Amino acid sequence: MHNLSTVIRFEIVRALKKKSFWILAISFPLMFAAIFGIIFLSNKATDDAAEKLKEQSFSIAITDESTLLKPEMIAATKAQSIKAQDKQSTIDRVKNGQLDAYIYYPKNLDAQPIEVYGKDVGPFENGRYESIAKSLLSTSVQTGVSPAIKKVIEGKVSSTNTIYRDGKVHDSIKEAILPGIFLLLFYFLISFFGSQMLTSTTEEKENRVIEMILTTIKARTLIVGKIISLIILAIIQGLLVVMPALIGYLIFHDQLKLPSFDLSSLPVDPVRIGIGFLVFAASFMLFTGLLVAIGAAVPTAKEAGSFFGIIMILLFGPLYAITLFVSSPDTAIVKFLSLFPLTSPIPLMMRNAIGNLGIGEAILGIAILVVSAVIVMAIGIRIFRFGALEYSRKLGLKEVFVRK
Amino acid sequence: MKKTNDPIISVSHFAMRFGNTEVIKDLNFEVYRGETFGFLGSNGSGKTTTIRSLLGIYQPTGGDLLINGKKYTVDGDIKLGYLPEERGLYKKESVVDIMTYFGQLKGMSKSDARQKSLDFLKRVDLLDKAKTRLDKLSGGQQQKIQLGITVMNDPELLILDEPTKGFDPVNRRLLMEIIEEHQAKGATVVMITHQMEEVERLCDRILLLKDGTSRAYGTIDEVRKQFGGKSLDDIFIDVYSHAEEEHTNA
Repeated sequence: MHNLSTVIRFEIVRALKKKSFWILAISFPLMFAAIFGIIFLSNKATDDAAEKLKEQSFSIAITDESTLLKPEMIAATKAQSIKAQDKQSTIDRVKNGQLDAYIYYPKNLDAQPIEVYGKDVGPFENGRYESIAKSLLSTSVQTGVSPAIKKVIEGKVSSTNTIYRDGKVHDSIKEAILPGIFLLLFYFLISFFGSQMLTSTTEEKENRVIEMILTTIKARTLIVGKIISLIILAIIQGLLVVMPALIGYLIFHDQLKLPSFDLSSLPVDPVRIGIGFLVFAASFMLFTGLLVAIGAAVPTAKEAGSFFGIIMILLFGPLYAITLFVSSPDTAIVKFLSLFPLTSPIPLMMRNAIGNLGIGEAILGIAILVVSAVIVMAIGIRIFRFGALEYSRKLGLKEVFVRK
Repeated sequence: MKKTNDPIISVSHFAMRFGNTEVIKDLNFEVYRGETFGFLGSNGSGKTTTIRSLLGIYQPTGGDLLINGKKYTVDGDIKLGYLPEERGLYKKESVVDIMTYFGQLKGMSKSDARQKSLDFLKRVDLLDKAKTRLDKLSGGQQQKIQLGITVMNDPELLILDEPTKGFDPVNRRLLMEIIEEHQAKGATVVMITHQMEEVERLCDRILLLKDGTSRAYGTIDEVRKQFGGKSLDDIFIDVYSHAEEEHTNA
């Protein structure tokens, strides 16, 4: 126990001292800050431009053959009304810079476009005359129309959607959120820490420190210590990523016009959340053991890295069958992907989130994952013991199993 | 501690095979408590394999290798200091952090391990490097750090595999002094070496290994007598040149 806590502390402290850990940790909040900043600046610039537009006075001329524009609206824009026969001469005035813009509304708006002619005011401002043309038309048409019809025209009619399953209100999206968090967490952990797990034991080999280690502590203590420290580091990393984003959301929610989330309305299904957690924990154990075992079997971190792609394909490959998990959960391929230990984490977590994973299948899947994880961990420790002194070559599987 | 004939290490009928190659054949020897034992032989004679098997890193094909009458385990009751032939430590950590870590793994408290580390660094004139990253030190300085880790828990059994490899004469003398200090404290020392002057200076008894079999075993005087009073250097050359002749005749 003393040595396990010593290994964990040593591994965590030295990881926290590495620049790469902090670069990775800080890059996410910085990225979020940059995105929020861009959204904020963009919103502000749009608002400022709208305000500026209101204050600016343009010399505009309008020809309305559609007769849909209200005269008072035209008057409000201080636009000049032009007869249709003067169309070309008015366009020439815009060409010569005597007029800022000219808007021509044709007779049949359903067949012909509104023609807008304007003086160049820069790539970001040139669209303003077109906006005025459309806004003028829309406001004129909606004048005198009831608020309900106005909402229909604007496509702003709201609706509620109540779905029942087994006699109870069912919201599949909301219900998937809490069990689905484990899928995200697993993806995050494996993506960010997979390569660290893979190379966690190659360091001892590459630095030739393994003989001193193996005569001082048990291989199992070292490996378990490394795995626990990686989990703790992942939690620290996760908090470093999530906390600033959460704080940023709470502080800048209104300024950035971010969507609101009412977490209290999320359905809590303890069984599905429990299954999600167990699949996550067993999958994490299995893949950690697998990555550590591969790392222990190869001589260098570089060689270990080439195996990472294979593991990722096995693990995340089932995502390509995502539509099958939703629409055909009872097909043989879905059953296979959900129970074969190297592919099962994503299908099991996804189907659990969607709600089409039966209790029996979940228990079987978790049991297979746990048994596989224990076997892989034991093999990993054995590979570490016997492969430890193989500084320049891969340890063959036969050697691992044949040696006493 | 007084030298006795009570074996701290006993190896009997030890055999080791890697694939089809028989590396060690029926090897038998004992190391007595409190003595300094020289384990000699040319490269590939099986010395390191024997030590690794004794320490449980390799599983022997046959025979018994015992320390204090038992197979060695890391959680056993013996305080061991082992300096392996393959040298290396964590490269990116500071010297004092690495030494403290190993001290803690050897059962010391963090403060004791840190203090012992600093004492050793002062002893070998590296105190100013305590907070330096290991990979910023020279090869010889790194070797000293590794030696410091080996002896920091005052081991009762000290196994040193080619301890002077890579040391200049000044540091070799320093190393010899450190070994002598531990001898004086009663530690049993097993030295694997090619340096005959080290053997003559420090060792009570020796085992000369060739092709995995014992060619000479006993006190230095006994071995010399066995080879007509020759020096250890000449005995070594005799044993190995005889082997060359055997190969040539064959």
